[in-house]
This record gives sequence, structure tokens and C-alpha cells, in this order.
Amino acid sequence: MLAAFMVLTLALTGGCATSPHPANAEAVAEFNALNDPGEPANRAVFEVNRGLDAAFLKPVALAYRDITPQFFQDRIKAVLDNLRAPVIFFNDMLQGELERAVATVLRFVLNSSLGILGLNDIATDMGIEGHDEDFGQTLAVWGIPEGPYVMLPLFGPSNPRDAIGMVVDFLIDPFNTWAGNTDRDFAVFSRSAARGVDLRATYMETLDDLEKSSLDFYAAIRSLYRQRRVNEINNGDPSAKLPVINIGTVP
Amino acid sequence: MVDHNRTQAVLRGLAFIFVVALPLGFATPSAADETEEKAGSFIRSLAAEAIRSLAEKDAPRDIRIQRFRKLFNDHFAVNSIGRFVLGGNWKKASKDEQKEYLVLFEDLMVVSYVDRFSRYAGENLEVTRTRAENGGSTTVFSQISRPTGKPVMVLWRVGSTDKTMKILDVIVEGASMSQTLRSDFGSIIRQQDGKVSGLIDALRLKTASLKASSK
Repeated sequence: MLAAFMVLTLALTGGCATSPHPANAEAVAEFNALNDPGEPANRAVFEVNRGLDAAFLKPVALAYRDITPQFFQDRIKAVLDNLRAPVIFFNDMLQGELERAVATVLRFVLNSSLGILGLNDIATDMGIEGHDEDFGQTLAVWGIPEGPYVMLPLFGPSNPRDAIGMVVDFLIDPFNTWAGNTDRDFAVFSRSAARGVDLRATYMETLDDLEKSSLDFYAAIRSLYRQRRVNEINNGDPSAKLPVINIGTVP
Repeated sequence: MVDHNRTQAVLRGLAFIFVVALPLGFATPSAADETEEKAGSFIRSLAAEAIRSLAEKDAPRDIRIQRFRKLFNDHFAVNSIGRFVLGGNWKKASKDEQKEYLVLFEDLMVVSYVDRFSRYAGENLEVTRTRAENGGSTTVFSQISRPTGKPVMVLWRVGSTDKTMKILDVIVEGASMSQTLRSDFGSIIRQQDGKVSGLIDALRLKTASLKASSK
């Protein structure tokens, strides 16, 4: 992780987008709205990430998706989701979402016991649906701005707020504390790898479609990442925050 | 005895008025409710039409493209979306560029969305609620169930006039189609020194390569 941040810092200091001439008001407004001052460096990191994805992650995720029986995929997803419960609970509480916090606890207790160590998501069957939270979202709820767009090596699209959130979530996760205290670093790596493969498999079609149809994949991903984060911060409820579409009347 | 029956009848009558008739009376649909209702059924019928014309898996791709082009032009506000996606660059473009852009935009949408729509066409779409937005459009909230995993949340922005309804935007799990396209196209124009003609060239290349690819 540290190495990744060093590479990032180097890359960022290496190439920043040249900001437009201050006299060109329109160009300045556009530059600020894009909020991606490190674009050239970010694009370089993005290309490296794509190369690594094509060489390692994507083939593994494809094999996982196509060869592993759905039954086992569902069990693995359920276990991975259940392991996130402490972090989700922590963030539910910090956001003052008591109802969701209670749901998270109930789900964890039910799925870990009756669901046999999280292998079965019986809580959802009982009508207690799961949700995700992370510290990046908590910071957003607290009103901390996201900062400029950043493409992290290996981890992909992010911004300072979400990057800090990722580190905090890692540090507060009891699973990682347990693994660290008992010399089981492999457990952390295996879990991260499994989660990465599972997520990559889940978004296989979405990413393939976007790569195929977009003219500038980097810009499309940047837009998609931001929109998805806003959606997650609002817990999937588009409360009048959808941009008003100024298209006039329908022809 | 007779009195007793009459009292019962009166009570039943009152009960009917308060429990059944009054709420119904209050629920008389206003014009806005009616538009929302219509937008909901518009999306449901679109889903049904998509199943009829696209779910047939072994139809050749040419045929599916042809069918999707009709569906897309019938039910999407293609030109309005195209203009929105171009943003401030629309006014910078010449009349001829605008015309050519709209043709290429429609083409890109059709060839890049035909597979996505075909994939979803066989799945069950359920309208969960509707909401009136500022400016007279309606958002239709829907869930599409997938063979595996959680259902996908899809929002449809529907604009309406007296006669027709057309889709202005599709928002999948929080990501709006038109917003994403706007960022995508905007980035290309910026790289071409703000020239719309650069975008038109890129669009021409993209649609040609998408048509050539077998799937």
C-alpha cells in the first residue's frame, strides 16, 4: 500500500494538466468542473492498471465466473459480505443511521450463526436486506469535500476522501487486526484477492460494455465512478439530486 | 326488530362511506398523478415490446439492430439526448456538423446499446414507484431481476407532451447514460482543441468498428 502511494505521489508531481489561461473564463470553469488536475498522470496510471487487469485480474475473474458453479460463487460472496459487517456497522453508526446499524448487527448475528459462518445469507431471505458502507461515504456525509480525482495504482478510480476512507476501513476492520495479531497475513491477502476477483466478475459486463461503446474510456470511467459514489453516499436514494435535464420539450 | 335491522343498515351505509367511498374520493387522480401513472405503464409496455422484438436469442445481429433502431427512435427522445450530451458545444457546431452529429449519435446509441438491451430483454422488469420531477418530467423507478445476484435498479426519466411520451435518460445504479456520454464526448472535444469536427471523426470510426464486430 505504501509503495502504491509513493508511486502515486511521484506520478502526480511528474505530470499535472496545464491549467488554462486565466483570461479564458470558460476554459477555466471547465478545468475546475473536471476536477482532475492530475489528468496526464492519472491517464498513465489508468493504462498501467488496464494492462495489469488484462494480464491477471480479468482472466482470473472470467475463469471464476464461468467455471465455478454458481452455488459456490454465492457462498463465497455471502462469506465476503458477512466479513464486512463490522466495518459497515462502524460506518452506519458514524453516519447516525441507527436503523441500518441495527439491520447490520441482525444480519451479522443471523448469518454467522444460522447461516453457518456467513456461508448463507439467510437474513435477506428473512427480509433484512444488506447494504454497504465505507468510511469514504462517512466523510462525505460529514460534509468533507471529495478533492480532486485520482487514479490509484491497482485500486483504480478514487479521490483523497475515498483513499483515506479505504485506509481507515482497513485499520478498523477486526478481521485485519486479528490476522495481524496472529501472524496470519495470508488471510488478509486471500480475502482481498477473493473480493477483487468477485467484484471484477460482478462488473464484467458493465465494464466490457462501457469500454466497447465509449470514445474515451478514461473519461467515461471517471464520470461513472463519481456518479456511483454519489449514489452510494445517498444510499441509493436519488433525492431530487438528479441533475435537472435541460433538454426542453420532447420533439 | 325492524329498528334493529334499520340501524344496522345505516351503520353499514356509514361504514361504506367512511371506509370505502371517502378514501376513493380523496384518491381521485390529479393531472400530475395521471402523468406518473402513464409514465409507469409506458415503461412497462416498453419492456414488453423489448421482450417481443429482442429476446429472441438466435435472431441475426443485423435484424436485432434493425428492430432496436425502431424501438429506440420510437421511444427515446434521440435528438434531445444528443443535444444535451453535446452541452455547450452544440452551439459551436455548424448546422451541417449538428446534422451529421445527430445521425452518428443515433447510430452509436443503436449499435452500442442493442446488446445491452437484448441481454436485459428476457429479464423481469418491475416498476416500483414513480416520481414527478421539476419541469414536467417523470422518473420511473424499476428493478430488473438478473439470473444471478441482486436485482439492478434502473431509473427512467420520461418526458411527456399531450400526445407522446419519450425517454430522456436511463440511470442504472446511479449512473446516468446521458451524463456519462456528456463526459465522454466532452473529453474528446477537449482533446481536439474544442472542435466538434474532431468528435464527429471519432464517432465515425467508433460506429464503423462496432458494426464490424460480430458481437
